[in-house]
Amino acid sequence: MKNSKYKTDLPVMLSPKTATAGRFNLSLKPWHGLLLLGICVLSSTAAYTADDTANAPPFEVLLRWMPLLLKGFVFNLVISVSAMGIGTLVGAALGLGQISLHGSVRKTSWFVTQFFRNSPWLVLLFFAMFLLPFEIKVGGFTIPLPDWLKAIFGLSLPVMANVSEIVRGAIASLPSGQWEAADSLAFSRTQVLWRIILPQCVKRMLPPWMNLYSILTMATVLASIVGVSEVMTLTGQALSAEDGRTDLLMPFYSFILFLFFIYCYPIARWTVYLEQKFAVKT
Amino acid sequence: MDAFFEWFKWLYDDTGINLPFLYDSYDRGRMIDGFFMTIKLSVLCLFFSIIIGMIGAWLQASPLKWTRRFVGGYIQLFRNTPPLVQLYFFYFAIGTMLPKVSNGFGGEEPMLGGFAWAVVSLSFFAGAFNVEIFRSGIEAVPNSTIEAAKALGFSRLQIYKDITLPLAFRVVLPALANNLVNLVKTTTLAYAIAVPEMLYEANQIWSDNVNVTEMMIFMLLVYFVLVGALVWVMNRWERSMKIPGYGA
Amino acid sequence: MKKLLKGSIAAVVFGALAMTSMVVQADVIDDIKKRGVLKVGVKADYKPYGFRDPSGKIVGIEPELANDVAAKLGVKVEFIPVVSSNRMQFLQQGKVDLMIATMTDKPARRKVVSIVDPNYYSSGTNILTPKKFGFKKWEDLRGKPVCGIQGAFYNKKTGRDFGAKIVAFKGTAEVYAALKAGNCVAFVYDDSSHVAKTKSAEWADYEMPLPTIDDAPWGLAVKLGETKFHEMMSGMIKDWHKSGRILALETKWGVTNTPFAKAMNAKYK
Repeated sequence: MKNSKYKTDLPVMLSPKTATAGRFNLSLKPWHGLLLLGICVLSSTAAYTADDTANAPPFEVLLRWMPLLLKGFVFNLVISVSAMGIGTLVGAALGLGQISLHGSVRKTSWFVTQFFRNSPWLVLLFFAMFLLPFEIKVGGFTIPLPDWLKAIFGLSLPVMANVSEIVRGAIASLPSGQWEAADSLAFSRTQVLWRIILPQCVKRMLPPWMNLYSILTMATVLASIVGVSEVMTLTGQALSAEDGRTDLLMPFYSFILFLFFIYCYPIARWTVYLEQKFAVKT
Repeated sequence: MDAFFEWFKWLYDDTGINLPFLYDSYDRGRMIDGFFMTIKLSVLCLFFSIIIGMIGAWLQASPLKWTRRFVGGYIQLFRNTPPLVQLYFFYFAIGTMLPKVSNGFGGEEPMLGGFAWAVVSLSFFAGAFNVEIFRSGIEAVPNSTIEAAKALGFSRLQIYKDITLPLAFRVVLPALANNLVNLVKTTTLAYAIAVPEMLYEANQIWSDNVNVTEMMIFMLLVYFVLVGALVWVMNRWERSMKIPGYGA
Repeated sequence: MKKLLKGSIAAVVFGALAMTSMVVQADVIDDIKKRGVLKVGVKADYKPYGFRDPSGKIVGIEPELANDVAAKLGVKVEFIPVVSSNRMQFLQQGKVDLMIATMTDKPARRKVVSIVDPNYYSSGTNILTPKKFGFKKWEDLRGKPVCGIQGAFYNKKTGRDFGAKIVAFKGTAEVYAALKAGNCVAFVYDDSSHVAKTKSAEWADYEMPLPTIDDAPWGLAVKLGETKFHEMMSGMIKDWHKSGRILALETKWGVTNTPFAKAMNAKYK
C-alpha cells in the first residue's frame, strides 16, 4: 500500500481529503449513549451528596420534568424540519439564480447569499423576531404570526444562504465536459440543467445538506433567547420553578446535551457514510 | 466631529431614525466597548481554537489507542451538541463547581467570569472542527517526506512542528478560513451569558430607546463588514501561502 | 389575464365579506361561551404568580384568578404562556381573551390594551442579595455587578442613576444561577418575586434590604373596545378584593400579605 503511493517521484503533497469526510477513530455505539446518560446521573448524585438533604435528589427532579422537556425537544425538531424545508426550497432557487445567464439575477443572488451567509444566526433570528409583524393582513384576513413561526422564518434565512452555496458549489464541481457534451447533443439550457446537471449534483449535495441540517438542529435552541417554548426555554422555566437550585444545573444541561447528541450523532455518521459512498474516485 | 454627531440627532428629530450610539455619548461608549469586546473575543477564540486543533490532530495520530479515543470522543461530543447549551453547561454547571475567589467587597465570585467561559467554550467548540481539518491536512503530507525527515534525525515532535504542520497548514487554509468565519459569527452566543459583546450592547440600547429596527439593521451591516473583512484577509493569506505548482 | 381578473374580484368580494363580518362581530363573552374555552395569557417563569409544574401545566396565583373567571363564565380555561415583550400583542391579535401577566399599569399601555380598574395587585423594584453584603441603600450598589432581566425598564435606572454594573440575562433561571454562583452581588427585579423567594429554604441566606422604589400597580387587561367583558372583569376584581380572595391566594402560595392587597381589602370590604 505504501509503495503504490509514491511509485514514481516524491510528491510535494498528496491531494487532500475533504475535512468533513474524515474517518472516525472512535466509532460510537448505542451503549456509549447509555454511558453518557450514566455520567449525567452520576454527576447529579455526586453533587447531591455534597448538598444538604432537605431537597429531592436532582435526578428525581429531572425525572419529574423529563416528559415536559422531551415535548419541548420535539418542538425543536419540528422547528428544524420546517426551517430546513423552507430554506431548501428558497435556497435552491437562489443557488440556481447564482448560475443564471442574466447578469443582474446572478449578482443579486450572489449578494443575497453572501449577506445572509456572513450574518450570525442569532442576529438573523432577532431580525425576524422583531421586524416581522405580529400578523399579516391580506384583504380582510388577518394571519397571525406566532413566535415559533417567526423563529422558523428567522432560522430559514441562513439555511437558505447555505443551501444556495451548496447548490452553486455542486454545479461548479461538475466537469465542464458535461455541459459541452449536452450542448453538442442540442439540449436546451433548461434541459441540460434539469436532466443532466442536477441529477448528478444531488449526490454531491446530500452530505453537505445533511451537515447543514445537523447545524440547524443545534441552532434551534437559539429560539430560547427570543422566548419560543422549546427545550431550553422550558428548562429555564423548570429551573426557576425549582427555586433556582444550583445542583440541578449540571443534570439538566447534561440532559439537553444528551438529547441533541443522540439525535445529531447518527446524522453525522450517516453523512460520513454517504460521503464515502458517493466519493468521486479520482 | 461634534457636528457629525449632531447631524444624527437632527436626523432623529426630523425623520425618526434613531441612532443613539452616534449622538448619545453613553450609548456610543457602550457600542464601542461592545465592538472591541467582539474583536477581543473573536481573536482569543481564533487563537485558542487553532492551538486546540493542532494539539488534537497531533494526539489523534498518537500510537496510543486511548489517546485517540479520547480525542475522537471530544470531537464528536462538541460537534454534535448545540454550542449554546455547551456555553450554558460551562458557565452555569461547571462554573459553579470551581473554587471561588474573593471579589473585593466581602463576597466571593467564581474564578472565571462570563468572558473567560465564553473563550473556553467557544474555543473548544471551534477546536473540535479544527482537529478534523488539521488531520485531513496532515494526511495529505506524503509518507516519503516524513521518512526523509526521520532519516535526518528529527524527533516526532520536531517532524510535526517543522515539517508536517507547515505543509498541512497550506492545504487546510480554505477549510480553516470557513470554520474561523463561523467562529466569529458564533461569538454572538456569548450574549446569552451576559458577556457585553456587540449584540448584547445593541440589545441594551434598543431596550432603552425602543429602536429595534435601526439597531438590527446596523448589527447586520457591522457583522457583514466584519466577516467580509475576515474573509478578505484569509483569502489574501491563502494566496500568499500557496505552494507553487500545487493546487488549482 | 381573464382568470387573474376573476380571481382578484373574488378575492376583493371575499375580503369585503370578511370585513363586514368583523364589523358585526359579536361580543367576546359570547365568543368565549360559544367556544367553551377562555384563553388567558399568563407568565410561566414567575414563581409563584405563574409558573410550570412538572407536568407542564401552568399554575400559581394568576392562573387561579383566571380559573375564577372561567368558572364564572361557565367555560374551561386555557393558559397561554406570555413574556413581557409579546403579551400585549397576543391580546391585540386575539390570541388570548384576557391577560393576567404581572403587567405594570402604565399610561402608554392603556392606549394599546384595555386595562381594567381597579388594579388587582401591585409591586415595586427591589433587589435580592445575600445577607452578608449588608446593603442598606441603592447607592451601595455602585460599581458592583448586579444581575437583571434583559429588557426590564429598571436596568437602566439601576445602571445609570445608582452606578451598578448591570449583567442582564434572558430569564430568571439564569439569573438565580448567576446570583448563587456569585457572578453578581444582587438581582434587581419585582419585589413581589423576591418576597416569595426569600421565604423558600433554598434562599434563606438572602434578603431584600433596600427601600422598594417605583411601586406601581399591576393591571389585568382585555382587548380594547370589549366594554362588556371589561365591566365584568372590573366587578370580579372588586369581588376578589372584597372577599379577601387575593389575600387568601397570597397565603396559599407562600407570599406574605402585601400592603396593597390589605389596603384594597379594607377599601372594598
